[in-house]
Amino acid sequence: MIRYFFRALRAQLHGGLSLFALSLFGVSIGVAAVVSIQIINLNALSAFSGSMRAVSGGADVTIVGKMPSLSEDTYPRVLATPGVEAAWPLFRLDVVAEDLDFYLEVIGVDFFTPIDLPWEGASVDLSAALGEPGWVAVTPTLAREKGWELGDRLEVSVGTRKAELVIGAFSDFQKATPLASTRLAVMDIAQAQSLFGARGQLHQIDVKIFEDVDQGDVIAELERSLGTQVLVLTPEQREQQASDLLSAFRLNLTALSFISLFVGGFLVFSSTQASLVRRRTEFGLLRSLGATHRQVMGLLVGDVLLLGLLGVAVGMPLGYLAAEANVDRVSATVTNLYLLDAINQLEVPAWFFLLAAAVGLFSAGLGALMPALELGRKDTRALLAAFSLHERVGARAPRAFLLGVGLMFLGGILYWLVGDRWRPAGFIQAFLLIAAVPLVTPLLVQGATGLLRVRSFGLAYGMKGLGKQLQTTSVAIAALAVAVSMVVGVTTMVASFRETLAIWIEATVQADVYVSTPAWRRSRRRAVLDASVIEVLARHPAVEQVDRLRQFFAYTNGRRFSFAGVDARAPGEKTRFALLEGEMLGAELGGIMVGEPLARKEHLSVGDDLVIDGPKGPVALPIKGIYYDYSSELGSAFTHLETMAKHFGDGPVNSVALYLEQGVDSEHVVDELKTSLADVPLTIRSNRRIREQALLVFDQTFAITRLLRYMSLLIAVTGVALTLIVLARERSAELALYRALGATRLQIFRVFLGKGLGMALIGIVLGSLAGVVFAFILIYVVNRAFFGWTIFVHWPIGLLVQQSLVILGASVLASLYPARVASRVPATELRREDL
Amino acid sequence: MLRALAITALVLMPPVEEWRVAVPDYAWSFPRDHWAHDGYRTEWWYFTGHLEGGGRRFGYQFTFFRIGIVSEPIELALDSDWASSHVIMGHAAVTDLESGQHVFSEVLYREMPLLASFDHDSEERIGWSRGPAGTKALWTLDFTGDGFRIAARDDRLEMGFELTTRAAKPRIFQGPGGFSRKGKESGAASQYYSYTRLETSGELTMGGERFEVVGESWMDKEFSSSQLEPQQVGWDWFSLQLDDGRELMLYIMRREDGTTDYAKGTVVSPDGEARYLELEDFSFEATRYWVSPSTGARYPVAWRVRVPSEGLELEVRALVDDQENKSRFFGGVYYWEGAVTISVTGLGGEALGRGFVELTGYGEGNRPPV
Amino acid sequence: MEPVLEFKNVSKHYPQPSTGVLKALDDVSFSIQTGRTLAITGRSGSGKSTLLHLAAGIDVPSAGTVSFVGRDLGELSDRDRTLIRRDGVGLVFQFFYLLPHLTVWENVSLPAWIASDAGMEERGRDLLERVGLTAHASQEASKLSGGEMQRVAICRALLRKPRLLLADEPTGNLDDGNSEIVMDLLMKLVDEEEGTLLYVTHSDEQAAQADERLALHSGKLGPA
Repeated sequence: MIRYFFRALRAQLHGGLSLFALSLFGVSIGVAAVVSIQIINLNALSAFSGSMRAVSGGADVTIVGKMPSLSEDTYPRVLATPGVEAAWPLFRLDVVAEDLDFYLEVIGVDFFTPIDLPWEGASVDLSAALGEPGWVAVTPTLAREKGWELGDRLEVSVGTRKAELVIGAFSDFQKATPLASTRLAVMDIAQAQSLFGARGQLHQIDVKIFEDVDQGDVIAELERSLGTQVLVLTPEQREQQASDLLSAFRLNLTALSFISLFVGGFLVFSSTQASLVRRRTEFGLLRSLGATHRQVMGLLVGDVLLLGLLGVAVGMPLGYLAAEANVDRVSATVTNLYLLDAINQLEVPAWFFLLAAAVGLFSAGLGALMPALELGRKDTRALLAAFSLHERVGARAPRAFLLGVGLMFLGGILYWLVGDRWRPAGFIQAFLLIAAVPLVTPLLVQGATGLLRVRSFGLAYGMKGLGKQLQTTSVAIAALAVAVSMVVGVTTMVASFRETLAIWIEATVQADVYVSTPAWRRSRRRAVLDASVIEVLARHPAVEQVDRLRQFFAYTNGRRFSFAGVDARAPGEKTRFALLEGEMLGAELGGIMVGEPLARKEHLSVGDDLVIDGPKGPVALPIKGIYYDYSSELGSAFTHLETMAKHFGDGPVNSVALYLEQGVDSEHVVDELKTSLADVPLTIRSNRRIREQALLVFDQTFAITRLLRYMSLLIAVTGVALTLIVLARERSAELALYRALGATRLQIFRVFLGKGLGMALIGIVLGSLAGVVFAFILIYVVNRAFFGWTIFVHWPIGLLVQQSLVILGASVLASLYPARVASRVPATELRREDL
Repeated sequence: MLRALAITALVLMPPVEEWRVAVPDYAWSFPRDHWAHDGYRTEWWYFTGHLEGGGRRFGYQFTFFRIGIVSEPIELALDSDWASSHVIMGHAAVTDLESGQHVFSEVLYREMPLLASFDHDSEERIGWSRGPAGTKALWTLDFTGDGFRIAARDDRLEMGFELTTRAAKPRIFQGPGGFSRKGKESGAASQYYSYTRLETSGELTMGGERFEVVGESWMDKEFSSSQLEPQQVGWDWFSLQLDDGRELMLYIMRREDGTTDYAKGTVVSPDGEARYLELEDFSFEATRYWVSPSTGARYPVAWRVRVPSEGLELEVRALVDDQENKSRFFGGVYYWEGAVTISVTGLGGEALGRGFVELTGYGEGNRPPV
Repeated sequence: MEPVLEFKNVSKHYPQPSTGVLKALDDVSFSIQTGRTLAITGRSGSGKSTLLHLAAGIDVPSAGTVSFVGRDLGELSDRDRTLIRRDGVGLVFQFFYLLPHLTVWENVSLPAWIASDAGMEERGRDLLERVGLTAHASQEASKLSGGEMQRVAICRALLRKPRLLLADEPTGNLDDGNSEIVMDLLMKLVDEEEGTLLYVTHSDEQAAQADERLALHSGKLGPA
């Protein structure tokens, strides 16, 4: 039988090359979508993990501060803890290399602790490392990239503080851990503290625990002796933290990528179905010659296996290329939004290939399942006799429809029961929806085509035929509808989010000019605005008021959030925060405002206390109001600077907002400030500019979803082509009859265009309807559950119409080749069994 | 990797000219000279001794090394507590002379307020450091006026001691004027003095058990900026306390092939007079070797030592073969520092005294600790 | 008067892998005048189907000429032959060839749709009535019996009043009772419509109903 399989394969490929090629294309794109997203997802964290291993490779646990600063006094206490084999202090800071608009991850280490650093070259002059001001070791990769050589100097800044670094050595972190950030830069801890004005401060203490000691005991002892001011984390916990940070982002991409694969599965379904139709006599004959059920099934399974394998073989490199093409955008998101390491290079571990192969084969197998079962149910006589499959779908359409409606209903019940409180709910609802679409498709196609009144042999005749060939057409239409629903849903969600963000920015960005520093984006609280700079800003004649902002990450109930102290002295009508609940902070000290994501995640409402870990124990602040917040899914809260100082100590300001006198051109003031503070590393942006940039970051973040949307559309449109080719081949007798009855080639061509157009139209309409539901699920369930923010629905009608036209056009294009094939069927093709 | 780095760095330190060098006419000033001398690259306080208590006998070693990293103090140039020109290395070892158990502990810290420092202003405290990781107690070195107080502890190894020493004999200079040459080059020398007999008492912990102990110690203090000459691979150093009241110090700088490159010695009479020995004034030969199972180094552990001018022909034997100190911090840093007993050749092995021997530069890829 | 269909020395050869050439038709000549009926008898494999394909312009001869109302089909393009077929030829097949997913009425109307020939609805209904299937007009064709199907197929063939009706074993797939009904109906309708009919059959009895009859033996035409 295996011999027969290979013998038959050749004939089959010869007979249906275009079919095979199209389904291969579909599966490949599906696999590519999943592969590219998974590669990106995998690598989004691997830079963090790589850098973590590179820096803290030997550490069993890492201690980080929860307070605005981690005092170096902690270090000897860690060192003296029983069971600790070694401990090394780390000073970490992301600094901006000034002219390059590019950051370096500076790690200040104590060279006299047992830390492993991968020095390049025979030796490093330690006295220079300690004694030469600004001495830093950078990775050779970065040095090559930037053309740096030993002895080169570069100016960096953190906050308004500038420092000059000297390349003193190369430390090849990538050699030990290839995915480590290339931006790691090592210097002596004393130099780092001194250069960046952070005497007495550490950011991390890495600890190695004796092997024969219970790690848990030591961690418990460390936690006990160091108190709530610090977090004691194992590398696994740190990876988990980073992973949690990205989880929502990654999960959404994964879900979208699987839709592509799902749509690809439909293609396999169609092509298996087609091959079954084509080979039924062959199978019947084989059975009559004594081949068992299982053997005939084996032939079919062999085909699908081959398709799956080839799909994986083509999809993998394709996916890699897609990942490579999009890695920069994702990397920008990962660094800008999540403050993790940039993705320097893509690495694909060996197990990943197995996984991708499994996913490809599985989806191909799933696609082939139904037709194969159909084959299984047929006896020899039925196979040899006329094929009655077609009518079956039509007969079952009402039942399938009810089932589909039932699934949607189930989704509705789920929403009613758990709403956005249970994270997986959104995905289950989306899945139910996507499963329901193919089920309701046949009846809807029947209904829609049944409404058509045909009076001529043309487009409409072709469309009407769709309803009569449901077995073949409904699958492709369903695939298209699923893809369209995803496109419509995601497009609507992204557009709604963008619109919401734009309105929010409009409301929130009220000051005329904003001043922060280049390092602010990554270094946050460590990027300090020098008081003298604020004075200069305040002295500008057009400046009416200066609002200061101090920000650091704080913890509540184990959750890290962005905590800000503000002046909150803005004039009454200039409420800087759009309120969801409660009122503004007001002049009275002591209260706190909480952003929506934090409130949702911690189930807080106005009147509750937000309990923050403080240096002297928990600080409970009453919540005055909850504001819309789209700045970070981590969550945010703010209070008066005075309140913050009272509980967390005085601290420097990170940015200021300037209110200008009425009628002053803020761009002009920006230019003036830039000129007068030219030598200070500052980011001075007008109100308008900051809005633009926020939307730019937004667009960058969602750019990757565009790729996914187009990938599944591509597959769906391929499905249209595939189906029409199947129809052209399967129904050649019918076409021959038309020719015999005097239909011209052009007429048949038009009939097929009509079929393509009809499939597209039904797919678009059905997909748009489902897309609306999909958009609601994304907006009201998924986003709320994962990110905790309210998105206001905005229908991007123009964009949706435009997209629909593109899909329509693409479908018509995809119909051209099948229509040509169909039009070439000669009248002599008439054979009795085919009608 | 840093281990390798630190070692490399220690070797590749700035040219010697930037540091002060040992001179024959150094103007000694005590007690100030017991404290640290920052201008020199290396300095050490070395205590070794034999102790008894609870019916047990112990050998111990306590050393603080000060190693200059940069010759110009950078503490003032940088706004950080971590700014430091020196590192402190501490070595402590105890040998249970009955069971033969030898325990070695070490610390290495940069000199900074949180971790370790050499005091310059204190009347008592010469230096201190944090204990090794996992140990709360500090390691300290104090001057008491008539001796020194030392303390070291390693909770993990269940070892430690707090000892008070009192000079039983006066301080002597090693080499005329405390100028001790280590090679033929003029720079190869140190400022060097010793207390050859210190009455010692205090507490000692070994294997978690505490003992009240008494005994005798030897203290060496050296500072210099020189290093081994290229042909020298290490040294053998003897500090022997004879029961007749004399003390003998000998050192031999060895070449790669085991031959002697340079040697000096000092004999201290019972009344504290020092007489300096040249290479030709003494001889010694190894009579037995021991191979370390952990480093593979082959150390001599018994010697025949002759000082004809003093009428001495001594059999010197290690009380325990395995008294090797192996650094955890620095790969390739290991040496033998052990308690020895002395008998007179031909007198049936009757004990004639005791002492300590230090052997460095044995084994493949070995480097001296300083 | 010009014959509706004329075969002049028509041969049709198919290349064969082993024997070189299969002569499906060999030097066949005949013609048929308007309003006449011609029956051609022959066993299966005698070349009957090839003859009909050539007559309908579905295929072209290897040698000789096939003329439809004076036009040499071999000289025409595929499109022109298709249009001649559409507008001038009606086809009745042994296996009916109804589209199972279309209703009876739709099947009958198909030629009009193909020809974009509006105003044929009345004629379609009329024909169905004449074959007694008005009641089945909106039923799916696949639900009909064989005899009914062929009656529908005859209506379809006659819908646009073709100058020539070609029938290939029109009763070959029917039982005796139905055969008779269908044959009678066919002859009756051709007569009523004053149509021209060329049909192929293996039944002498049916052949006898024609004005003229010829016999086909291994590609050669001769008198019955």
